[in-house]
Amino acid sequence: MITFSGVSLIYPNAQRTIVEDISFTVNEGELLLLIGHTGAGKSSLLKLINGLIPHHTGGILTGEISVDGRSTRALKPGELADVVGIVGQNPINGFVSDIVEDEIAFGLESLGIAPEIMRKRVEEVLDLLALAPLRRRNVSELSGGEQQRVAIAAALVTNPKVLLLDEPTSALDPIAAEEVLSILHRLVHDLGLTVILAEHRLERVIGFVDRIILIHGDGSVDLGPARQILSNSPIAPPLVELAKKLELGEIPLSIREFRKMAPEINQAPVQAIAKINGDALFTINSVSASYDQEQRKNALHNVNIQINGGEIVALMGRNGAGKTTLLKCAVGQAPLIRGEIRVKKRDPKSFTDKELIRFVGYIPQDAGDLLYGQSIKQECELADLDNGVEPGTTLAIYKELMKIPSLNSHPRDISEGQRLGLALSIILSAQPALVILDEPTRGLDYEAKKVLIKNLKEIASNLNRAVLISTHDVELVAEVADRVIFLADGEVIADGSSREVLKASPAFAPQVSKALPNNSWLSLSDVERYLSEKN
Amino acid sequence: MRNSLRASKETFHPLFWWLWALTLLVILLVSESTLISISISIGAVALVLLKHSNTYWYQSFRWSLRLAALAFTLRMAIGVIIGVPMPGQVLFTIPSITLPDLFVGVRLGGDVTSQRLSTAFDEAILLVALILIFAAASALSNPHELLRVLPRKYYGIGLATVIASSVAPQSARSIERVRAARRLRGESSTGIASFRKVGVPVLEESLERSIDLAASLESRGYGYFPNPSRYRPHSWRLRETVALSSPIYALLSLLLLPSISSALLAGLLLIAVIAPGFIS
Repeated sequence: MITFSGVSLIYPNAQRTIVEDISFTVNEGELLLLIGHTGAGKSSLLKLINGLIPHHTGGILTGEISVDGRSTRALKPGELADVVGIVGQNPINGFVSDIVEDEIAFGLESLGIAPEIMRKRVEEVLDLLALAPLRRRNVSELSGGEQQRVAIAAALVTNPKVLLLDEPTSALDPIAAEEVLSILHRLVHDLGLTVILAEHRLERVIGFVDRIILIHGDGSVDLGPARQILSNSPIAPPLVELAKKLELGEIPLSIREFRKMAPEINQAPVQAIAKINGDALFTINSVSASYDQEQRKNALHNVNIQINGGEIVALMGRNGAGKTTLLKCAVGQAPLIRGEIRVKKRDPKSFTDKELIRFVGYIPQDAGDLLYGQSIKQECELADLDNGVEPGTTLAIYKELMKIPSLNSHPRDISEGQRLGLALSIILSAQPALVILDEPTRGLDYEAKKVLIKNLKEIASNLNRAVLISTHDVELVAEVADRVIFLADGEVIADGSSREVLKASPAFAPQVSKALPNNSWLSLSDVERYLSEKN
Repeated sequence: MRNSLRASKETFHPLFWWLWALTLLVILLVSESTLISISISIGAVALVLLKHSNTYWYQSFRWSLRLAALAFTLRMAIGVIIGVPMPGQVLFTIPSITLPDLFVGVRLGGDVTSQRLSTAFDEAILLVALILIFAAASALSNPHELLRVLPRKYYGIGLATVIASSVAPQSARSIERVRAARRLRGESSTGIASFRKVGVPVLEESLERSIDLAASLESRGYGYFPNPSRYRPHSWRLRETVALSSPIYALLSLLLLPSISSALLAGLLLIAVIAPGFIS
């Protein structure tokens, strides 16, 4: 279906080739996973397949790529629209209509399909992706998972032979992600569609894929069956890491496979580490709040929470459960209806701008919003000024967080992980008592996540700060959080140690705990600790 | 059939608002009447309030109002401070600066007469009316819908129009987000100094969004196939014609009957501008 022969790609003025002399073939009806570190070229490879590179984005391409017998060199992406559908990283940016149904029909209109056939195709796709109840809704009002489904429907409606997806689950909660992936799985099986998807969170997709393309980042790629690639890959889901740690000799692709091959491990229960040592840093007393000033729709109902110094607390729940509103309470940006919020015994609304940063360090969903310097170095200098600290403080923190910092790059050009590190350094140099992160692992690879986890643990234990993270990433929660607060529909439905809360819900259980259900382990570091104690 | 394949009944044809704006623009420029400028400004605001909706094209309108207020203030200030001396009753005097001989006749500061004030006001209100007409058109129409009605042969033009007309409303939303983030870095976002700090990320984001939109259109074959079809055709119906005919009628009477009283015309226009708000 797709053939790459001797393909090389380099961007003008770039030092490094994205891919160099690669050749491979993708068969019809395959579900292929594209993995690699951030910035290795996953998105570029996807865009090569439908001709957006080089026709739209630019770049110097040599070699030959053919899709369904057509060369992408000769044809523009528009001319391949009937064969290839693509769903970008931010589906909302690619939407051309306000109404779900019109958005889906757009591709058919472009191809000039007759209205009667168009009508039928739209209905079919609405059913296929379970979008019929949303057909009249405005796309900007939908949740992340729903938008993702609309984007997939819009790409599928023209009956393409190939579907390309760039991080389709990164913004979704585990349940919505599962939903999208099982739909893809069904399409591959029922319709013989060829699907190629790029994804960082391997634990979510690994059970569904046939083969994996690993982009090394030095220009070479490996393509092979999932098991083979994962056995040598530096990027692997927790389940595979677990099997390697336990020296099972085989690579499990699903929890079921692991359980079949895993030995019984009996282990004394891990003692709950009591580490509530600080005072109450952040308290929320019977708070109700709304999304924004105009819409009087409640986002939080009667919420009570207390967070102490030295604690890392994860805030979980579906998209739209009120997580971000709760975080905004801490910086006085949430429209409060009633209740009382205190950060270090003070109402956050009473903070002046300069005071705020000494109390609360908040990293919003797009960490880039905090940045406006022209280089990392300048950004750090500006932060020193803003925070009123000794010149060089922020830079010193950044150098410590990111071991190999690149100081002259523009903050927009660096990887997500580096940008998050930079935002974290800026926040930390003001020495806030409470550090808040909204969905920090979106777009982070495993390596960047490890760095983040290490840093957060140090912030909490060494500096005795409280850390509050809102996230969908259960693996992150399992590694880093002491406590989990679960929100549903604006209410706290669970608040307890991460062990209790995560184990209680199958959808939110991390892979290690699913694989070894009789143990109280949650994460790889629990297993590591056990193994090192045993030896 | 449960729902007919026609555009939603509440929305006008995507081109309607732009034609409407164009007609009002011509009226403004031809009439040069302050009364008409005022009545169109009031009408445009009332119309937008009447047809309120939840889209962010609509929500961008309050930013346009701020822009209009800013334009008004600046134009008034400039009109009062700079200019040629004018007759009329002296209302108050501001300190004046003597300019080199090169600018003969022009002065900075000095006596502010009633005529100076009223001329400045006339010009400022014209500017406000211009801004509000376009603000109303972009708040009430959906730029993305324009794509569907523009001939696809002119792919480039369509794309440029859509990006140009959607950047401002979408940026209004980004500005709010980035300003909230600015506060998180411990600075209040007021004054011109903060403009760059808010502006840079907002512009970068809108560039990114435009590139994504163009890529999406391109990969979905927009403009590549000779005979695009319509899923939900936008039809130009009687109400569009009626709603557009009254400003056109006003324009014609302005051109053909030079003696018509501008007060009468201003009153009629006010009604004509608000009228589409009641048609649905």
